[in-house]
Amino acid sequence: MTAWDTQKKARYGRIEAGSRFAEGKVVSKDSLPRFLDAVLKPGDRVCLEGDNQKQADLLAGALAGLDPARIHDLHMVQSGVVLPEHLDIFEKGIARKLDYSYSGPQSARIARMLFGGQIELGAVHTYLELFARYFIDLTPNVALIAAVSADRDGNLYTGPNTEDTPTVVEATSFKGGLVVAQVAEIVDKVPRVDIPGDQVHFLVEAKKPFYVEPLFTRDPGAITETQILTAMLAIKGLYQPYGITRLNHGIGFNTAAIELLLPTYGEKLGLRGKICTHWALNPHPTLIPAIEAGWVEQIHSFGSEVGMDRYIEARPDIYFTGADGSLRSHRAFCQTAGLYACDMFIGSTLQIDLSGHSSTVTTSRIAGFGGAPNMGSDPRGRRHPSEAWLKAGEEADPASPAPLRRGRKLVVQIGETFGEKNVPTFVERLDALELADKLKLDLAPIMVYGDDVTHIVTEEGIANLLLCRDADEREQAIRGVAGYTDVGRGRDRKMVEKLRERGIIRHPEDLGIDPLDADRRMLAARSIKDLMLASGGLYDPPSRFRNW
Amino acid sequence: MSSWYEASARQRIDALADPDSFEEFIGPEEREVSPHLALFDLPEQFDDGIVVGRARLSGQPVLVAAQEGRFMGGAFGEVHGAKLTGLLRAARTLRCPVLILFDTGGVRLQEANAGEMAIAEIMREIVLARADDIPVVGLIGGRAGCFGGGGLIAGCCSTLVISEHGRLSVTGPEVIETNRGADEFDSKDRALVWRVTGGKHRYLIGGADLFVEDDVAAFRRAAIEGLSRRAALDILTLADEQKRLEHRLKRFGAMTEPRDVWAALGVLRPETVSGLATEAFLAEGLHKRENAHDAR
Repeated sequence: MTAWDTQKKARYGRIEAGSRFAEGKVVSKDSLPRFLDAVLKPGDRVCLEGDNQKQADLLAGALAGLDPARIHDLHMVQSGVVLPEHLDIFEKGIARKLDYSYSGPQSARIARMLFGGQIELGAVHTYLELFARYFIDLTPNVALIAAVSADRDGNLYTGPNTEDTPTVVEATSFKGGLVVAQVAEIVDKVPRVDIPGDQVHFLVEAKKPFYVEPLFTRDPGAITETQILTAMLAIKGLYQPYGITRLNHGIGFNTAAIELLLPTYGEKLGLRGKICTHWALNPHPTLIPAIEAGWVEQIHSFGSEVGMDRYIEARPDIYFTGADGSLRSHRAFCQTAGLYACDMFIGSTLQIDLSGHSSTVTTSRIAGFGGAPNMGSDPRGRRHPSEAWLKAGEEADPASPAPLRRGRKLVVQIGETFGEKNVPTFVERLDALELADKLKLDLAPIMVYGDDVTHIVTEEGIANLLLCRDADEREQAIRGVAGYTDVGRGRDRKMVEKLRERGIIRHPEDLGIDPLDADRRMLAARSIKDLMLASGGLYDPPSRFRNW
Repeated sequence: MSSWYEASARQRIDALADPDSFEEFIGPEEREVSPHLALFDLPEQFDDGIVVGRARLSGQPVLVAAQEGRFMGGAFGEVHGAKLTGLLRAARTLRCPVLILFDTGGVRLQEANAGEMAIAEIMREIVLARADDIPVVGLIGGRAGCFGGGGLIAGCCSTLVISEHGRLSVTGPEVIETNRGADEFDSKDRALVWRVTGGKHRYLIGGADLFVEDDVAAFRRAAIEGLSRRAALDILTLADEQKRLEHRLKRFGAMTEPRDVWAALGVLRPETVSGLATEAFLAEGLHKRENAHDAR
């Protein structure tokens, strides 16, 4: 007779094995290695919570300390490969296969290990894609997660950095898997219940907060005048004409400059209330001056940001907060919001080719995708209209009858023609292709595909790719804003002039912008301290960003 | 209010000097560029990162030098150094006080020998000027801070003005970390870097004379005050100096955290000092700090 409850029984077995090292649900830190050894089995599919920001660091360390003779061939399914331990487990032979999304700080090491064959790569995903697969074909057997506090029943408070936790627990706990949470402390009553206790099987008290990476803090002091010029172009050349109210920003300095120009330059253009009111965005400190000046109505966040907690708690009209007052972030929901409910994504990239494909990989670094491809893509399932979406759709396809025409999300790449260390942003051939050859991948890791990109903004001007009618025009439009890079110098001057006459390329002067006005004095805050002051002292910048 | 930290060398001079009084010597139009940088395929700047000239400050004639921290970190090279040396020599001939607007990481590595010699020449000229009772006032509040040879030159000035953002030391945080490890000094812990080298600490331990807001008008007022302070440097000053340094070493020598030094000075709630606004900081620090003196 077929057994229909093998997973349930397997979980029961794991709980029984683990309970020998626990009091109720609570496992002591000392017994953690023996506990993990008891509940894990070779070949398990494991989600070791590594998010964009928060990290189950205690559990990661314990997992890396296990005996590979007993626990091996684990298949890791986690969005972020961030801590050294996340890769140590592959080096030691505890884990073998990896499906992930993002590997910022470990991008160089992960590339070496992939080349060296120490990691068997499933795929590099976007966040939503990996979360989706948690429910279809990558459901974890064991989830090792992180929260701020728990009660003895296992009710978890995840604090401002909820991030991926509800998604991971949902997939694991409701499909026969085991959920183990590290918490900073065990309390009698949690401030709010982010994860109900019956979905959590064991708790470990770490007695210290989990590690959080401050990823979204951009020091206004480092914003250049070229970046300010690109920001002015974006505001006057895109935000204003399309009437962008719902949007997501990337994390680069160009978009930080836009945030800091809203209360100054944007105000001068009379745009308050007309643009940038609704956001899918992490709590960027650089948005504080615009929030304080009354620009922003609401923000939903993927995660939190170090130092922003008190400010967020004091601004519940703006942010999503729990009954306890602190931020409730949620990566899966916010990614969905950014994909379907925003009219614009704007972000920077490392390389753009002649078709508009962009990528952040270089041959020695595999940073993964994170969420940018979800934000930076046109959702084919979208059905609700908006001014910006309809206008962009019309520009792309003026011939179709309006009621049958799809709108378009604006996907904007913004940056200087020469990026960090004077490396050209525009290239004939992406490094991603070389990487795909080297690793024998079916797909080159493209962050944003060319057919999703609608505009490219550089200090030379804006290229509107929606208005290009063929591949030739597109290529020349891209060359036409590529400045003095080889790609830019390879332009067909006559054709670029024609594109400019048609408004496909617009230079600062075409928009009535004087590049000499791009001055740091226009920034609403020019230092981290200015941001702190703008927040009324509520923003508490981490030590590494201070210059006082 | 306009930020000194944010301003360029030329913007600082414009804000500091009386309107339209500045006259530049060896300006960019003379293209007196570094003879060394081209060898390294590095870009040159027509003023070699320092603006020198004469101006009036509150009606009084002054000679001014302003380093541009955004060109090679304001570092001293051959031409850069020679312009300042020449200015200091002129100060003695003209018996005219000097303002040095520091913004420097020290000597330019690409022309290290010439840069080091320039530092020595400049120090010598300052000492000679002060022996003639000519004030040499240093102003520190730029992005690059005042490090390396810049720190040594600052130590020779008759008066030093510093803001919270200003940093003053000899060996920079990155160099210490490179040589001694992050455990010795974590250069990425910016709050620590500013606690140790920043304006507030320098002011509290008597390493700078006047503490001002990061504001060009505040620097101007302090520069005017600086010109009226005692400039002489003689054997008695040096003897006093030696005593003060011995005292400082005895009192703070074993401490590794600036907050401990501040506590020993009797500053209330040392942990809040970094966050204090200028006025509150001066109210707390003015009478508790080590007396300002030449030992910097």
